[in-house]
Amino acid sequence: MNLVVCIKQVPAVAELEWDQRTGGLKRDLAQGMMNPACRNALEAALQLKADHGGAITVISMGPPQAEEILREALALGADWAVLLSDPTMAGADTLATSYTLAKAIKLVRRDFDLVLCGCYSSDSETAQVGPQLAEELMVAGVAYVETIEVLAPKIKGGRPTIRLSRQTDNFLETLELEPPGVLTVASSGFAPRHVDLSGIQPAFSSRDLIHLDAKKLGANPKLIGQNGSATRILKVYPSVIDKEGVVLKGAVKASVQDLFQLFGARLNGFVGQGYSPDD
Amino acid sequence: MEMEFNACTKHKVVRNVVRDFAEAELRPIASDIDRAAHFPWEAIRKMGELSYFGLQAPAEYGGAGLDTISYCIVIEELSRVCAAVGLCVTVHNSVALYPILAFGTKEQKDRFLPDLCSGKRIGAFCLTEANAGSDAGGVETTAVKVKDGFLLNGTKIFVTNGGACGLALIFAVTDPASRSRGASVFIIESEREGFTVGEFEDLCGVRANPVCSLFIEDCLVPRENLLGQLGQGIRIGLTALDTGRMGIAAQALGLAQGAFEASVKYSRERQQFGRPISNFQTIQNYLADMETEIDAARLLLYRAAALKDAGVRFTAEAAKAKLFCAVLANKVTSLAVQIHGGYGYAKEYEVERYFRDAKVTEIYEGTNEVQRLVIARDILSRPV
Amino acid sequence: MTESHGKGEVWVFGDYRNYFRNRVTLQLLARARDLAQGLGTKAGVLVFGSRMDEQVGDLAVESVAHGADKVYLIDNPALANYRVETYVNLIVRLAAEYRPAILLLGATRFGRELAPRVAKRLRTGLTADCLDLRLDEKGQLIQSAPAFGGNLVADIITPEDRPQMATVRPGAFQELPHDAQRRGEVVLLDLPDDLPRERVRLISAVRQPHRVEKLETARVVVCGGRGMGSKNKFKKLHDLARLMGGEVGATRPVVYAGWAGDETLVGQAGRQVKPQVLFSFGISGAIQHTAGIQEAELIIAVNKNPEAPMMKMADVAIVADAHQVCLALIKEIKTRLKARAV
Repeated sequence: MNLVVCIKQVPAVAELEWDQRTGGLKRDLAQGMMNPACRNALEAALQLKADHGGAITVISMGPPQAEEILREALALGADWAVLLSDPTMAGADTLATSYTLAKAIKLVRRDFDLVLCGCYSSDSETAQVGPQLAEELMVAGVAYVETIEVLAPKIKGGRPTIRLSRQTDNFLETLELEPPGVLTVASSGFAPRHVDLSGIQPAFSSRDLIHLDAKKLGANPKLIGQNGSATRILKVYPSVIDKEGVVLKGAVKASVQDLFQLFGARLNGFVGQGYSPDD
Repeated sequence: MEMEFNACTKHKVVRNVVRDFAEAELRPIASDIDRAAHFPWEAIRKMGELSYFGLQAPAEYGGAGLDTISYCIVIEELSRVCAAVGLCVTVHNSVALYPILAFGTKEQKDRFLPDLCSGKRIGAFCLTEANAGSDAGGVETTAVKVKDGFLLNGTKIFVTNGGACGLALIFAVTDPASRSRGASVFIIESEREGFTVGEFEDLCGVRANPVCSLFIEDCLVPRENLLGQLGQGIRIGLTALDTGRMGIAAQALGLAQGAFEASVKYSRERQQFGRPISNFQTIQNYLADMETEIDAARLLLYRAAALKDAGVRFTAEAAKAKLFCAVLANKVTSLAVQIHGGYGYAKEYEVERYFRDAKVTEIYEGTNEVQRLVIARDILSRPV
Repeated sequence: MTESHGKGEVWVFGDYRNYFRNRVTLQLLARARDLAQGLGTKAGVLVFGSRMDEQVGDLAVESVAHGADKVYLIDNPALANYRVETYVNLIVRLAAEYRPAILLLGATRFGRELAPRVAKRLRTGLTADCLDLRLDEKGQLIQSAPAFGGNLVADIITPEDRPQMATVRPGAFQELPHDAQRRGEVVLLDLPDDLPRERVRLISAVRQPHRVEKLETARVVVCGGRGMGSKNKFKKLHDLARLMGGEVGATRPVVYAGWAGDETLVGQAGRQVKPQVLFSFGISGAIQHTAGIQEAELIIAVNKNPEAPMMKMADVAIVADAHQVCLALIKEIKTRLKARAV
């Protein structure tokens, strides 16, 4: 099977500073890591490759530092890696990102069977790139996939049928499609494996990592990066709600008693509600 | 942001990968296994599958074939979360596996390395005895030549990994008459007749490592299990310790780094006198000193590792790294407890474990005093 | 698709699966109505489905009663199941014909798959998980969504392309009360017969049993964050909850640390709670969490840090160690119970 996995490097911190001027994240302040959901997608690809043979190409759009996660993917068992990196690609919203990724896929792996993506990224959390990639590539797309089965082709000599299951809004759906398709993998499926250290040296000795800038990619400059984005961030600000409520300080016991003093009417009804000391 | 001696991408990836593993698999169990002095077999088994037990061994034996800088990074990152596991991995790799790689015959490498690399057999190096600590000349374990090989007798103590080892390298006297050429190293499989695991030590720190005594009673070892030449014991021991020293330095560095990070986090959250304690100059001074010295330690360690990778003599540099990192680990972990105040003394926080774990880094694989001897010898051996 | 700022309508995609439980379409209708009034235009809802689905009553009437001025209705057996590609095609065609200014979708799983594909096809911008939507002085839609982690909000606009699209999680807005007197126009459309065939086949769609989550209906919720200190200390919250007939909720860091299961996650990515009394122990108040507690009536927050956002939005802010206060509350309640029993 010809598999493509799109992976993203995200900041390895819980919170990150915004650059008020550009409206972007100050990414260079933090270490990078592979987006956790992308690991699930890569794991799905590794399992498919193990069961059905084939090769995995990983692609990442990001700053040069994104090479780290591509090498990690190679160490895990991917076969080829493509780094899409160019200053003009920066500041892209999902519209531009999906265009750029699709351009790369059409260039290096036009005859893919499946493109796998994580269902969302831990930094932007839009969950939009996968579905938009399906549209850009004009192929079938299914999001939040939990299980993937490869069945015999329905037509002799044709491509295999892919059977999927996923949960969506209280429905458990079973779906089928013939490749090509773009799947986003739910974080509840395909628990990611740890990197085997013996894969690291070969990943770095490997020549199977190529770097494409906007020119080599043949990307239309109007459709990438900020130019290709339809949304714009006006400003970023802390959300502050100040209810001007009661502040209780001092000894804990006293504070608790003050609490009942002030709000006893609203609390007393619940004291001991449904409670039995024998519980 | 971390300072790295060699920030090249490969080393960054090694660091990220091991950190991810340590945080996911070791962090949740580190406190419990320390408290119960329990060896984490399940985590060790997973690590075996991920090539942690063959870090620098060639791929043909199932090893990861990593350079020495990467090796130190692995130990540092493991120890940043759980020093007892970091210790297990470094001792196995540097003083059990490495001697076989360096001195073993092809037949011995084929026979022993695959099981060591996969973690199926955990390795231990047995030198220390009741009368032989810093003074290796005091070893009393004997290996007497007999018809079918060698008969070994003796008791080894404080054997790191001893309680879990599948393969032990035993330092024994083969020629009592001779002074420096009288010792040799023998490889003993744990299932061999006459090899018994003794009492487990109840230690202050690194408690999850199964440190114990080993009893060797009329243990018959075939000639094929002699490592290197007869009388090569000291040479093998010193070679093993050179690399082992760097591993311990990495362990100490990891301890310091972990304790430091906890201190930064705690000082940001803990409020006294109406503000976070990180606002106070005293705490800031502590943090500044800690990070500066950790950076210096890191440079010392990775400099030594780089020398080894370049194929250049690195004995003195490794000794300096070990000395500096061990002293630093003790200073930083003690300061970390201090910064945490009363909470730092309670087992609910991890820093007290780091504090206890740090002490032994100044003792094993050559005490601080021995390291100084090595360094001084190097200084004074230079041409005037 | 660039569009000069005309009087395009404000549309809401009618996601009526799980209707009685999931009210997001109705909540969006209320907001759409405000936005439409601000733009001097109408609020429309797209309803695609099949009357053979007996789960809902007359959806067009319901929609109008909850605020829709217009209902674009396609009723066809072929639409008995929600299928992404078909719905994308339908919306894209309708958008091309009617040129709405704004298109809003509930951030259900279906909506989150549908919206980006529509946005891509229409070559327009889409903001996910909005907390607020409002118009600026030029009539442009300002989409407010949580920014990376913590407590930051980003205001986002789609300057040139139309329609301006956004997905919104349930709970961000409040639905209008059902008003049978409201009038609206139903535009009955036929299912086009030249829609491309689905590339994905639906083999089965099994409705999962509807589990009413105790947390979502609890009248007292005791929420805990990392400020509780440790897993063991966090457990005490369960004792407190039991004493008040309440349920325990948690923040994301707590779930990640393994102190509580993901079914207790309260927030944007978890459960929405609307208790009469909410205790918030050791929680800083990141937006991802507070988005889940907007409808709590009385909020009692406990934190060592008086400046924490959670403390600012509380009715009562107790500046103290969360675990200590939890223990003190348990003690106080037990004392009061004993006094009652006497």
